[in-house]
Formats: sequence, structure tokens, C-alpha cells
Amino acid sequence: MSDRTYEILFIADPNLGEPEVDALAAQVQGHVEKDGGKLQKMEKWGKKRLAYSVRRHREGYYVLLVAEGTGVMVKEVERRLKVTDGIIRYLTVRVDEELRKAERRKAKRALGEEKRKGRAGTQPARPAEVQQ
Amino acid sequence: MSSQGMGGDSRSFGRPSGRSGGGAGGRGGAGAGAGAGGKDAGGKRYFFRRRKVCKFCADKIDYVDYKDVKLLSQFVPERGKILARRMFGTCAEHQRKLTEAVNRARHIALLPYAAD
Repeated sequence: MSDRTYEILFIADPNLGEPEVDALAAQVQGHVEKDGGKLQKMEKWGKKRLAYSVRRHREGYYVLLVAEGTGVMVKEVERRLKVTDGIIRYLTVRVDEELRKAERRKAKRALGEEKRKGRAGTQPARPAEVQQ
Repeated sequence: MSSQGMGGDSRSFGRPSGRSGGGAGGRGGAGAGAGAGGKDAGGKRYFFRRRKVCKFCADKIDYVDYKDVKLLSQFVPERGKILARRMFGTCAEHQRKLTEAVNRARHIALLPYAAD
């Protein structure tokens, strides 16, 4: 089974200090790596206002992790996120398929544009007018 | 056809028939279409509506990201509801992706479920 790319976004308790949030992130990273995953990116968004209150919090500390791994890994990581104190909400999303699709579409569009340009070039009279 | 034409004649009795004398078919159409509208300029009245184009198609956004609050909030007015396609003219494909993205953003408290 080939590895998939997941985004793991979680909200930490805003009352935690910076080092504690770092520790939480490292902990999650540890879970990812233990199940054969590979961390690609870690982004700390910092404290943000929540759109609604979650567990009586109006604010939260957002941390985004992008990891490669298997479904088994995600299952384990999610289970851990659920039981970890200090994490008030999390979301894991598989992104590789969608991103690949988007990439393919972009390439297709670029190709189409190239073709259009090429076709315009074969007609000698009009492009000169259009360009001026 | 002929009977219909007769009906049209009787109805347009008091009208300025000189203008509409050009074609029988045209007269019937105008009479049936718009009684009041026929008065000014004698034509159909057009209702101009700005053509809506899917923002995602226009901006070539292939992947609707749930993390892009700025983009998503354009489609979610104050109440927090997702607006219908007909409001913003998004194409079916992108509306579907938009909905998915908004729901994800809601779960992670980037967007509200409902305004309070």
C-alpha cells in the first residue's frame, strides 16, 4: 500500500504555553512516525479566535501537520488525539488525491493554452494585429 | 392560423395599426407578448441581468482549501449559511467542493455553524 498524504490540524488549549504546545506537536509527530509515517511539514498558526466556543474556549492554538502514511497510522493518531488532554479539536483530511487531481487539471489547462498560442502563430496575418 | 389572425385583428382594433402592419406574424406576437410594452419602442422589453460566472472557474482555483477562510467566507454571509448556487453562480462541481470545504472549516471552528 502506497503511502497517502494527510493533513492533521488540531486545536490546542489556549491556556497552554508555547513550550507545552510544542510538546504536544512533538507528541503527535511521534505517533505519526511510530506507525511508519513521515512528517512533511509542521505549521503553527498560533492563537486564533474560534468561530464558536469549543469546550468553553473562545480561542485556540492551531497546529497543522502534513504527514505521509497509511490509514492504519491515521486511525492510531486520531485515537491518540482524542484522548490527549489539551487538544480540544482535531481534523484529519486526506489530500493527496485531490491535490494530484488539481495538479493534473492545471497541467491540462497549461497545455491547452500552449496549443491555442501555437495555433495563433500559424496564422500570420491576425496575431500581428491582435498584439498591437 | 387564419382564425388566430382574426382574433388578433379584433383585439388590435383600437391600436395604431400602421406600425404593426408589416407582418401578420409579428403583430400577433407583439400583441400577445406585452400589452404595455408594445407602447414604448414597440419591442420586447429586455431584462438585463449580469451574467454570473463561477468564481472558482474564473480564478482557476482547482483545489478548494478548507484552510482558506478568506476565500470561503466570501460564500458564507453573516448568518453562517452556505449560499445557494444561484446566488453566486458557482458551477455545480465547485459548489460541491465549496460545501465540503466549508463543512470542514466549520468542524475545526474556522467558520461558524450559525451566527449567534
